Amino acid sequence: MTDDHSATAGSRHGPPLPGHWLRTAAAVMSFQLDRLLTKPRLAMALIGAIFPAAVMFAVIRTAPLERNMAVVMIYALIPEALCVLGLLVTMCPVVADELERGTWIHVAVRPGGRRSLLLGTFAAAVIWTGSVAFAGLLLTLLIAQVTQPLPLAVMFLGLIMLSCIGRAALFTLPAVILPKRALIASVGVAFVVEYLAGFLPAVVNQLTVSLRLRSLLVEWMAWRRELPIEMTLFVDDNPAVVQVVAVFILVGVLLAVASFILNRRQFPPSVEG
Amino acid sequence: MLALQHVTKLYGSVIGVNDVSVELGQGAHGLLGPNGAGKTTLLGLITGQLRPTIGTVRVFGERPFGNPAILARIGYCPAADLTERRATPQEWVTYLMRLSGFQPAAARQRADQALDEVGLTEASRRPLSTLSKGMRQRAKLAGAFAHEPDLLVLDEPFDGLDPVARHDLVNLVRHWARDRSLLVASHLLHEVEALQADLAVILGGRLVASGSAAEIRGLIDALPSEIHFRTDAPTELAERACRAGVVETLRIKGGDSLIIGTRQADRLAAIVAEAVQNGITVREVIAADRTLEGIFGRLVQLHRGIEA
Repeated sequence: MTDDHSATAGSRHGPPLPGHWLRTAAAVMSFQLDRLLTKPRLAMALIGAIFPAAVMFAVIRTAPLERNMAVVMIYALIPEALCVLGLLVTMCPVVADELERGTWIHVAVRPGGRRSLLLGTFAAAVIWTGSVAFAGLLLTLLIAQVTQPLPLAVMFLGLIMLSCIGRAALFTLPAVILPKRALIASVGVAFVVEYLAGFLPAVVNQLTVSLRLRSLLVEWMAWRRELPIEMTLFVDDNPAVVQVVAVFILVGVLLAVASFILNRRQFPPSVEG
Repeated sequence: MLALQHVTKLYGSVIGVNDVSVELGQGAHGLLGPNGAGKTTLLGLITGQLRPTIGTVRVFGERPFGNPAILARIGYCPAADLTERRATPQEWVTYLMRLSGFQPAAARQRADQALDEVGLTEASRRPLSTLSKGMRQRAKLAGAFAHEPDLLVLDEPFDGLDPVARHDLVNLVRHWARDRSLLVASHLLHEVEALQADLAVILGGRLVASGSAAEIRGLIDALPSEIHFRTDAPTELAERACRAGVVETLRIKGGDSLIIGTRQADRLAAIVAEAVQNGITVREVIAADRTLEGIFGRLVQLHRGIEA
């Protein structure tokens, strides 16, 4: 009931400096990666990395696969299935996990803490899932014994990274809107948006990551001329750079919307902890 | 430092805080209320976790919700236990300092210093899961003040602490409040009194009283104390008390229970002693409203304008 000082006068704490959010997001990323380094998580990662190779092994034991067929299988198993599954586990609990651990409040009261949590967890999910998927890719290429594996590894590395950042950004929305039901909501989003809308030959599929990845695969494998006419409906015929830029624009928009929502989320004390 | 004007917070149809208006300057302040009174919601509004449904909250002259410049000046120690089990206190507090914007080396240095101040240096490298609740409480406290905020907000900070640790931390927090601001929520009057803080009493989401500890005690003393007697002769004892003019309210329940409301407990005690000497048997005397609930109940009475 004595003095009343403004936000700036007499304060040891000025407003956060430029680049503050990058530093804090890096702190969250490092902390989240550390959280992932547990035996159960590492075991899950190992299983995830072995899974596509095991499927490939089972297939080539029954009949030899030609190169293009192997590429399609690898595409379906790794940038699509493995990346999506990995991100469901690592990205979806971004808020729910903090609420459960009782750490949400500690983060929410830090300047820019909410946004840093989102971006840091996004980065950690991409790095973790991307690493598992890349390990899975190397194992699968080894098992598949395709000719010229190096260019394929480089191409799939690109697809894996785009798949991870695109899908991680997509899953941030259900994670911040429905934190307690994020996993179920994200599975729904994956099916409805990526695998239903993504295959609709309409404007809506332009907003999906799956269209961009398929189009990049067709472009980088030089399959466009060989595609049956009906299959051209499911790919975009713009050059690769447009597909990559489209993914980054989508990621930017999704993260901005998720960050906006998270910055305004309020959890009653009964929900926390 | 802190101004709330007609602040109401609703969770759907549930009222968390109901029309609270209060202004607090720099210094130590205690927020007193039983569990479920709305203390945590009020702290949530002050620390920028929640937005008021109605009214305005201003901390250092600005709204705290979504305001990084204000949040940087606040340190908050929540009541909920820390279930981040794998990290060590050092890693946890360093992480919080990095979230506050410090470079990794500076964050580590501040974390070590804060953990030292709360007496957790030796246990600072043990996983939180292996620490007692009291030790985790200290780790939370270290995380709240390591960035040297201008306002430290503590929600039930001494829960789970042994008496020695409680004494040490009360001293630490009191020392903190010498040149900075402190807001402590507790359901224990003596905890807040030990911090030599001004008091605000909250009940059912409403602020029912505020002032210094002495003023609050004065308010409490201004209301009649309810004293329960178990005696063989409740009517006779009631007559003696009424004749002496010390009775504000009076109830006789069953054959042996008498409840007297009085502002003159000392005189009533003398009358009862005299009655006992004259052969009236008094088996039990309980000043029921010396319990915390009783004090809160009486403050609510005062808030509603019920004098007797």
